[in-house]
Amino acid sequence: MIQYAAIILFVFGLYGLFTNRNVIKMIVSLNVMEVGLNIFIISIGFTYDGIAPILSSTTANGLLYVDPLPQALVLTAIVIGVGTTALGLAIAKSIHKTYNTFDLDEMGDKE
Amino acid sequence: MSAILLVAIPLLVAFLSILVKKYAPYLLIIVGLFNLVMLFLLQDGGVIIGGFDQPLGINLLLNLYSRIALILINALIVVIACLNIKDYGKYGSILLLAMAGLNGLVLTVDLFNFFVFLEISGIAAYLITSSNKKPTNTFHYLALGAVGSSLFLFGVIILYAMYGTLNYGAMIEAIAANNNYAEVVLPFTLMFIGLGVEAKLLPFNSWVKGALGHSNTMSGPMIASVYAAALSFVLGRMIDNLFLFQGTLLTIVTVLLTVGILLGDFMAFSSTKTREILLFSSVAQASIVALLFVNGVVAWAVWLIIANALSKTVMFLVINKATKEVGCDETKSLQGLFTKNILVGLAFTLATLSVMGLPLLVGFMIKLNFLTALAGAGQIWLIVAILIASLVEGIYFVRLLVKLWYKGENEISVKYNLSFKVVFVVIALALLAFGSYTAPMNQIDNSVDAVTEVVNNG
Repeated sequence: MIQYAAIILFVFGLYGLFTNRNVIKMIVSLNVMEVGLNIFIISIGFTYDGIAPILSSTTANGLLYVDPLPQALVLTAIVIGVGTTALGLAIAKSIHKTYNTFDLDEMGDKE
Repeated sequence: MSAILLVAIPLLVAFLSILVKKYAPYLLIIVGLFNLVMLFLLQDGGVIIGGFDQPLGINLLLNLYSRIALILINALIVVIACLNIKDYGKYGSILLLAMAGLNGLVLTVDLFNFFVFLEISGIAAYLITSSNKKPTNTFHYLALGAVGSSLFLFGVIILYAMYGTLNYGAMIEAIAANNNYAEVVLPFTLMFIGLGVEAKLLPFNSWVKGALGHSNTMSGPMIASVYAAALSFVLGRMIDNLFLFQGTLLTIVTVLLTVGILLGDFMAFSSTKTREILLFSSVAQASIVALLFVNGVVAWAVWLIIANALSKTVMFLVINKATKEVGCDETKSLQGLFTKNILVGLAFTLATLSVMGLPLLVGFMIKLNFLTALAGAGQIWLIVAILIASLVEGIYFVRLLVKLWYKGENEISVKYNLSFKVVFVVIALALLAFGSYTAPMNQIDNSVDAVTEVVNNG
């Protein structure tokens, strides 16, 4: 079920990215898309009644763990997403400085 | 000495160079030369990072295929850095980051690690195109690149959910053992679209016109030659080892790529801007390379990537330098460019004729051999499509050459530095020499990048 929600979120983000003409709204859409993707990745490792995948001297063998690999992948994906968003915002600032607007249609008129 | 240094050193120096910005371009050249020396010293084989063997840990793989790709990438970055040290010196740290990302892309045999390197090299590419001073085009590239890499990651995660591994070798074996191609169609399609965005394949490449249509002597050759070559190599590895397209997906991909070749050349034909002609020609060439990989003509696809990267480096450098001085890239405005630059003109002409595939140049040998290989595979319609595209390509390139060689109403004067001329002459001579001396080209065969075999044998 959670995977359907994640895919819907991803599609919303994609829709927002292709239908918006405002640079900031496009960056927000990109983030919505990435959140959907990250939830999808996490859901892959989820196990019902699974415990946190931490090995210690007191944990017994044979317990059900959630898959730790998707969690590690999502951490990396989040960091990369932050980097892309930061760069996107820096470019948005540069666009605003050049055209005095965030709207791509208005920029087209000024070019 | 390990192949991981080819990624770790450029990455480390990229961050350190921010502290000494003035010396960043020099550090880039030193690191590039170090990588080239390393590539001749390192032995073939896999590298296991952190002691975790596959399928759990991240593996790198240095074989003949990745060695050829890495030598080309690092050598071209060094050449581009040397030529632009004065005008684009401040981009040294970014080019180091690009070098680390592209080396990692070629070396890694772990799919998530591949995504990380795709993003690193992608972020460096967005920053490189920001030197064009067209922020809207850079943003367009960033948005499409982010969508492409997200789709690629989506595909990778679906594969992980199905097979429990991210390693190429282990995954190829698991897919073969499962023997049900229908269930991998969705992840492969997502991954192919994701890579298609970066590899300039139609219809996923709408960023190319903005990024290369306003390029300069640094961003033009970096995106059109270095990035195009690196992405073609990694797309080829995926197609040749992992995707192994079958059934309906094979038909769809073949049609898409064939349409890409024809549309790329027809768009170049209809354009009057020199940079657009070059970039649309690159789009068509990228589709030809992918099509060769799809049909298992790996060896000639590799040589085509190398020949295109070298030719496009010369062509973009010549045109972007001229555009910067003249202030316009309309072919009409550049008319008579070579009347006072005969040496540069000859090098540009040789590079262009090689892309067209005329006899005595390396492009001819490559085209002849891959068409023969396609004929052997019974792909007659593909040959017809490529020949039609070549005819169109011949018309627009000859038209361009005539314009550039014959004096127009206004006399234009563009001064090329000695360093530029040396690079043009060396590349042009190489294209001419390997057109006649073809022995090295016959030394690799279509099994040059058999990943599973190498990974499994350590």
